[in-house]
Amino acid sequence: MPRVTPEDALGRVQNALGSLAQDVKLNFDAVDLSCSRENIVEVLTKLRDTDDLSCRFFSFLSGVDRTEFETGEGDDAATGELEVLIHVYSPDNVISVTVHVPVPLDDPNCPTVTDVYAGAIWHERETWEMFGIAFKGHPNLVHLYLPEDFEGTPLRKSFRLPSRMTKSWPGAKDPEEAAAGGGR
Amino acid sequence: MAIGDPRTEPVDASEIARRAQLDAAESFGESERRFGTEEMILNVGPQHPATHGVFRLLATIDGEKLLDAEPIIGYMHRGYEKLVEQRDYRQITNLVSRMDWLSGINNELPLALALEKLMEIEVPPRATYLRVAMAEMNRILNHLMFMASFGAELGAITPTFYAFREREDIQLALEMATGGRMHFGFFRPGGLKEDVPRGFFDQALKGVRQVIERLPDYEDLLTGNEIFKQRTLNVGVLDKEVAYSYGVSGPIARGSDISFDVRKDEPYLSYEDFDFEVCSAPNGDCFDRFWVLVHEVVESAKIVEQAIEGMPPGPILGKVPRVVQAPKGEVYVRTENPLGELGMYLISNGDRTPYRLKIRTPSYNNVSVLSHVLHGTYVSDMIAILGSFFFVLGDIDR
Repeated sequence: MPRVTPEDALGRVQNALGSLAQDVKLNFDAVDLSCSRENIVEVLTKLRDTDDLSCRFFSFLSGVDRTEFETGEGDDAATGELEVLIHVYSPDNVISVTVHVPVPLDDPNCPTVTDVYAGAIWHERETWEMFGIAFKGHPNLVHLYLPEDFEGTPLRKSFRLPSRMTKSWPGAKDPEEAAAGGGR
Repeated sequence: MAIGDPRTEPVDASEIARRAQLDAAESFGESERRFGTEEMILNVGPQHPATHGVFRLLATIDGEKLLDAEPIIGYMHRGYEKLVEQRDYRQITNLVSRMDWLSGINNELPLALALEKLMEIEVPPRATYLRVAMAEMNRILNHLMFMASFGAELGAITPTFYAFREREDIQLALEMATGGRMHFGFFRPGGLKEDVPRGFFDQALKGVRQVIERLPDYEDLLTGNEIFKQRTLNVGVLDKEVAYSYGVSGPIARGSDISFDVRKDEPYLSYEDFDFEVCSAPNGDCFDRFWVLVHEVVESAKIVEQAIEGMPPGPILGKVPRVVQAPKGEVYVRTENPLGELGMYLISNGDRTPYRLKIRTPSYNNVSVLSHVLHGTYVSDMIAILGSFFFVLGDIDR
């Protein structure tokens, strides 16, 4: 199996995507990039179809709620919002690519990627019900895990676990800590 | 049926025969209306023995043919991804151990590896080798379980008894070391909870060698069995490209001519030290998926033997700070779970709990392809196909 060095993989991704992707870098030897939601379908199609990448293996699609993520210096403006997180992999070249797609909190939607990776169909349903990110063009955007009449988006940080609101956190070592973590 | 007007149309022998045929066709049509088929919804589950848990399959059938099959999941959703955001890293080890209850120790691995990467902890070689040995023993346990259950689903109960007999010795070895039979809670960031007790290696080798010795029995009972072959050969074919686009991994993908194995492609722990093959089979049917499963047991046994023979002495825990607190950062770690790629995307905010831990479980992706594979198959093959996807419900629902 041909082995591609991380730097080589980074170069190939940069060549294939050009200006479609921003912030292309290596993170623990895996290629990490972010792109706008308008370009997501094109970016994934290029990652899949470019010959020297061929990221045909769809690993996962999920979401991240970055509203409570502490932004340090040098962090870009994308943090503090929602994010669609996609991971694809090339079994032939052993290249992992993580794609971050910022999604604004007040307009949470993103085009579907089910046309590129058929396997995204369940992942998008899960992300929709857990984060409230609607995937435009998804064939059947209904609840996957949760009951049909469930209200709320559980994996957003604004969704508090009821048991933690009434009772302090039992896992902490000392009482102050328990009180501090009480709302989580 | 009137074909034109009989008084004006010329009537000859062939025309009469034709009319007779048309009449027959018409009356056949009527009988078809009386005895015809129509679409029917068949609910398989949520309590069905072939699903190993609460899993429902909403099948639209026309006669014997499945027109559509939609897996409905979520009956066992426990919300791990939310729970882990409220828990200390050490507690999460025990949570993730319960995802795929047939391979507890393998589930703990990516979490430990992710933390070690972020916290830059060096793991001593003995811990790494022990991890490999235990992970592979757990893989054998998992595979034996599915060899048992797949036989049972096709009507052969004997493999179940055989497999549980073989499992016991390996179970015993793991129990000696960890005290648990299913949920081990043994891997820590930095190494292991404790060193293995005296007699562990002998017990492990005994169990593993026994499995290898008795594996030909399974070949006789199942893969060499004519009934088994007829139920599985060319049934439920999963195409290679479809497998890729759904992210199908593990033995199911390898049954479709994909030689994708994280242990070989991106070696973690010390898998590059060991000599083993990646089993794959070309046809993508139920038989090939099962064949891969059986042959992976041999490879895992080889790894266990090599790991125990080359077991280095030394400590089993690296330098770990008292409080497990990952620095700010993100990392994706994938490992080869018995059923496929188990990945954890850890986002840390520098806290004692993860900011977000996305758990990518193998069964979830593997089962999402089911509706594609089941389309156009027959009801009699449905259970064989379901069984050959070797899924654990806890791993799908998380």
